[in-house]
Amino acid sequence: MFKKNMAPRRTQQVRAGPSTEQSYVYKVVLLGSTAVGKSSIAFRYVKNDFRESMPTVGCSFFTQLVCLETATIKLEIWDTAGQEKYHSVCRLYYRGANAALLVYDIARKATFARAKLWLRELEKEFLHDEIVIVLVSNKTDLAAQREVTFEEAEEFAKSRSLIYMETSAKSNHHVTEVFMAVAHKLLKQEQQKESALQHQPWKKSRVDLREPSNQTKKCCMN
Amino acid sequence: MSLKSERRGIHVDQSELLCKKGCGYYGNPAWQGFCSKCWREEYHKARQKQIQDDWELAERLQREEEEAYASSQSTQGAQSLTFSKFEEKKTNEKTRKVTTVKKFFSASSRTGAKKAEIHEAKAPSPSINRQVSIETDRASKEFIEFLKTYQKSGQDIYKQCKMFLEAMHHKRELSIEEQSECAQDFYQNVAEKLQTRWKVSPEKVEKAMDQIEKYIMTRLYKYVFCPETTDDEKKDLVVQKRIRALHWVTPQMLCVPVNEEIPEVSDMVVKAITDIIEMDSKRVPRDKLACITQCSKHIFNAIKITKNEPASADDFLPTLIYIVLKGNPPRLQSNIQYITRFCNPSRLMTGEDGYYFTNLCCAVAFIEKLDAQSLNLSQEDFDRYMSGQTSPKKQESENWSSDVCLGVKQMYKNLDLLSQLNERQERIVSEAKKLEKDLIDWTDGITKEVQDIVEKYPLEIKPKNQPLAAIDSENVENDKLPPPLQPQVYAG
Repeated sequence: MFKKNMAPRRTQQVRAGPSTEQSYVYKVVLLGSTAVGKSSIAFRYVKNDFRESMPTVGCSFFTQLVCLETATIKLEIWDTAGQEKYHSVCRLYYRGANAALLVYDIARKATFARAKLWLRELEKEFLHDEIVIVLVSNKTDLAAQREVTFEEAEEFAKSRSLIYMETSAKSNHHVTEVFMAVAHKLLKQEQQKESALQHQPWKKSRVDLREPSNQTKKCCMN
Repeated sequence: MSLKSERRGIHVDQSELLCKKGCGYYGNPAWQGFCSKCWREEYHKARQKQIQDDWELAERLQREEEEAYASSQSTQGAQSLTFSKFEEKKTNEKTRKVTTVKKFFSASSRTGAKKAEIHEAKAPSPSINRQVSIETDRASKEFIEFLKTYQKSGQDIYKQCKMFLEAMHHKRELSIEEQSECAQDFYQNVAEKLQTRWKVSPEKVEKAMDQIEKYIMTRLYKYVFCPETTDDEKKDLVVQKRIRALHWVTPQMLCVPVNEEIPEVSDMVVKAITDIIEMDSKRVPRDKLACITQCSKHIFNAIKITKNEPASADDFLPTLIYIVLKGNPPRLQSNIQYITRFCNPSRLMTGEDGYYFTNLCCAVAFIEKLDAQSLNLSQEDFDRYMSGQTSPKKQESENWSSDVCLGVKQMYKNLDLLSQLNERQERIVSEAKKLEKDLIDWTDGITKEVQDIVEKYPLEIKPKNQPLAAIDSENVENDKLPPPLQPQVYAG
């Protein structure tokens, strides 16, 4: 349906505003099985409320401004359909994403397996430093029915160098922290990239020419 | 012709076969009745004329627009009415070819306007002349008005757009991908220029980009929407056919969390369908995106009313799929391709519009791949529904809601009875055949049995039996028997 080469060309970040006050836009996708609490996490973060009593119409697309010391970051949160039958089409969702939250339910082992599946898909699509991936184990309020242990998930996250966090959207545990971690990591990557350019001024002047060639390189690797 | 044709079916006069120019050679309908040589001459002449006209027109328009821009007096309004709307007509014709009947039901305010335009367009000058339509005209006027708020940078933008349009004019022969690349590069360059050279604030850049997109895409639309060099149209037809074949899919199969029995919900569903169909009537990619977003909002409302809680993506995507199946929007693939190729990328990849557009792409991709498993059906059922042999609706007719038309209900009931009758008749026929066979088998069996027995015990006529006395004569042991007792007389 899309030409592969044109999709994420200018999506890394839309840099807006005068150079003194940097602001970036990042796309964050929520991936995970049905009813693991993807929407609830996003909703809790943006509106600081739980889904049981809300007046809003839809909760599948949110934006949230995050003010850090050096820059303002706008996070665009994309919720995705988690049903297994849509798995094959969901590739379209994470095109051009900057971060992905792999959400699973600690009380259902199968959702952890699905999260691993998502990770494999993401690794196919992105290079390692192109996307920030967070493994989020949700519903810590259901500790009594826990099926996936903290150690197991942490070990897995470590082996794939993911950020790992346990949350509960219902009791508002660590939800904001997840998104803050994402924002910090994204900004750090951004600054690294920029300083790399400053150390190589000849490259900076040719940044426009370099960008498309980068793109083709990525395509070939895929 | 009347007499002759009556006698011989089709009759073509010898003179009709000859070249229209009268050069003595045979003509060909493909060359409009000319012979190949004369046709080439005529065609060349017409082409030259068209090229010349194009040039003149382009120059005139350029002058007019520059004047208009300089004097900020919009004087084109009155003139434009007299222009022939060749392009408008052309696109309309194209639209009419492809669109489905459903299009007429879309509550589009444009449909009426379009008809009027077609009507107007038929009257004036020959269609060889390329002219601008009212819509294009209005777009440029608005654009010029808008740019005035940008002072100096506005003039620069205008110049850039003009140059770009001219460049695109010469690139029409190129593949659509290359043209798309050009447009994308143009967007990027202009945005960068506005930021770095003219130091325009981000919000204003965004606004300007929207206007630029509107201006250039209204002009390029007819060349780059569903161009003949691509197979977009073929894909459209494939999708359309596919959706038609899937007409039997029910909300339950897709697990759509929408209850259409609630009047408010069904109202929302209708609105969503109208929006998604209306997308085809817009020219600017952003307007098309706006239709998709509007449609999505209605879907969210429908889900919210049904479930009494806000919808998540888990609910939204199935509903969108259902809406697309129900609406069968015209030229779906062409629209998606057009938006992908020519929309300002910052709109497409990020933001709410981008999100809903991605969802639509997912929905279409899903519909293309949809199989028995994804509807929780068995393969046989799926095949039967696809081939149209039966419809799941028929089985559900019992629990239909009361607002379904009585006639339809009656029809389904009758159909049901008929099929039952048919079944019974078939059963009778098969039973009768069985009986017949049984009867034949039975007689055959009996005959065979009889024959077997006859064969086994053939009828032998033995000689007549000997007299009984003879039995004793054969008795060998007679000798060993004591002599028969003699009667003796005793005194006494």
